[in-house]
Amino acid sequence: MTAFIKSFSIKKRDFVRAGEASINVQNILKSLNMDHKLIRRIAICGYEGEMNAVMHGGDGILTVEIDTGRIILDIADNGDGIENIELAMQKGYSTATEEHREMGFGAGMGLPNMKVNSDMLSVESEKGKGTHLHMEFYVSTD
Amino acid sequence: MHASADTIYSSHYVIFDADICTGCANCIKACPTKAIRLYNDNPTCLTDNCIRCGECLRVCPTGAISTTTYELEALQKDKVSITLVSPVLYSQFKGVMPNDILLAVKKIGFHHVMDLSYYIEMFLYAAEEYIAENRTTGQSPWPLISPVCPVVIRLIAYQFPNLLPHLMPIMRPISLLAKEARANISREYRIKKDAVILYHLTPCPAKTVPSRSSFAQENSLVDRTMGIKDVYAQIIGRLNQMKKTGIEALREESEPQKISGNCLLWGLSGGEIAGINSDKTLAVSGLRETITYLEKIELGLFKDIEYIEFRTCPEGCVGGALNAVDKYIAKNTVLKMLRKFGLERLIPRDKVLLLYENGWGLSDTTQDELQRIFGVYKEHISIEHLNEIEKILEQIQGKDCAACGAPDCRTFAEDVVMGKAVLNDCILLRKREIDKILENK
Ligand SMILES: Nc1ncnc2c1ncn2[C@@H]1O[C@H](COP(=O)(O)OP(=O)(O)OP(=O)(O)O)[C@@H](O)[C@H]1O
Ligand code: SF4
Ligand code: SF4
Ligand SMILES: [Mg+2]
Repeated sequence: MTAFIKSFSIKKRDFVRAGEASINVQNILKSLNMDHKLIRRIAICGYEGEMNAVMHGGDGILTVEIDTGRIILDIADNGDGIENIELAMQKGYSTATEEHREMGFGAGMGLPNMKVNSDMLSVESEKGKGTHLHMEFYVSTD
Repeated sequence: MHASADTIYSSHYVIFDADICTGCANCIKACPTKAIRLYNDNPTCLTDNCIRCGECLRVCPTGAISTTTYELEALQKDKVSITLVSPVLYSQFKGVMPNDILLAVKKIGFHHVMDLSYYIEMFLYAAEEYIAENRTTGQSPWPLISPVCPVVIRLIAYQFPNLLPHLMPIMRPISLLAKEARANISREYRIKKDAVILYHLTPCPAKTVPSRSSFAQENSLVDRTMGIKDVYAQIIGRLNQMKKTGIEALREESEPQKISGNCLLWGLSGGEIAGINSDKTLAVSGLRETITYLEKIELGLFKDIEYIEFRTCPEGCVGGALNAVDKYIAKNTVLKMLRKFGLERLIPRDKVLLLYENGWGLSDTTQDELQRIFGVYKEHISIEHLNEIEKILEQIQGKDCAACGAPDCRTFAEDVVMGKAVLNDCILLRKREIDKILENK
């Protein structure tokens, strides 16, 4: 059986449309009648990743791959990249601007949240080239 | 409803009159759960998906859609009939005092009419107490969601089950009143509880059909509901009669009730949070906006808000589909009346708190029950289906024109995959085929 794969574009600094990709993914998962707690974890991860691309990164693509036992989220952007990934992964670390904070972002909790809510997270980033998040979620079969 | 039985395609809630329906597709596009289709010129509603929001009634330009409300003919047969009146009723008559409106309703033939003021205040006290408690216990996740609008509860159970723990577990005012009224009247008349017939006069499109469940939070415990617009003319008639007789002479017939400003405000979006002593509140109205906010809460936003009042009708319950008067005119009437009534509370806080501490007013419907009753999300679709749907969408390359009778291309493709529609119903595909044939000639 072939997995279902679909991609959505993300636009740098487009705060009006930000979140749409994650909501689309969420609605697809809901139509599959998947466990709603799993859906919520995936949606939260999608949203945090999407927002990071919009806010800190650049234009990008969010791809969801749905298979019977596993869901994969790939979020890639062509922004400036993350200087120090280890630091960025720490709770509370943030380079968010005053403007971002006014909109309610910048708690430095996005990446830690993704770590907690996914079953596997890898972050690849190169200064000047962009950032690529890869997250996996496993469907328990009990 | 003037159509013959076989032209009516009915579900539990929405009734279509196929003779009047012009096929404009307004309702199909407006339905938030995508429950309406117009295949083969027959408008139909997929009952399982309908959350009774009334949006389709509101957008139908020809009046081809209706919903059943109770006919008053049977009134004489009731042993004791009581009408519980939604405060929105007062917004429908400019310059008439609430107690005169209540008397006019009574004169239609009810034994008693009851206003909601006291129960709205009790609800507000209980809500404040629950919010304060939650600050220390954290038993429910922020933001708490108002349990007042039944459409919101259904929407959450149906489409956002993750948010069920956010619903504040307090019974809504109408349920509180219904419970008390039935007990008190049966005692007073020395009759059985089920001999007391409770009517509810309401603008609410969501309450017109006896509920699918008997659970407290879902069902407001009333026996029959009447839409305001269905008895509006009768009330106006009684008011005119009263004017002739002289309202003063009739006052003794009435059972004057204390009506509070909080109660009047209740029908406006924001009227609920206006009465709650927390700064971290929001009021959201309208169906689309409600869905947008629920989606955001599900993504983890608004954790810094304590309480959100949702009303799916535009401007709040004054925008309810069963009102008789334009929502903005009704809003104006309320705001003008407020100047007379003020916002002081009628009952002292301590009295309610004592009751609250004894568990009074807490809803006994569990999340699991709500989820079980409403928690189905469409039919089960598999990953293969998803791939097929995607293929069909590529083939169609459409713009959600809805000419096929489905709300959008994706839903149409879904129906095709599930065997409920045929691909040939897509006019774009048909047109391209014809173009091809013409080209080859
Ligand atoms: N896609 C990205 N491109 C460039 N820098 C990023 C990207 N994602 C994260 N960062 C950097 O990592 C930091 C931490 O990210 P994280 O999502 O944990 O917190 P935040 O976005 O600053 O705040 P919050 O997510 O709580 O609103 C960001 O402030 C930013 O400096
Ligand atoms: S009442 Fe609401 S959910 Fe039901 S068919 Fe009409 S628009 Fe759809
Ligand atoms: S907004 Fe008011 S009238 Fe409209 S569905 Fe909700 S409770 Fe009923
Ligand atoms: Mg972030």
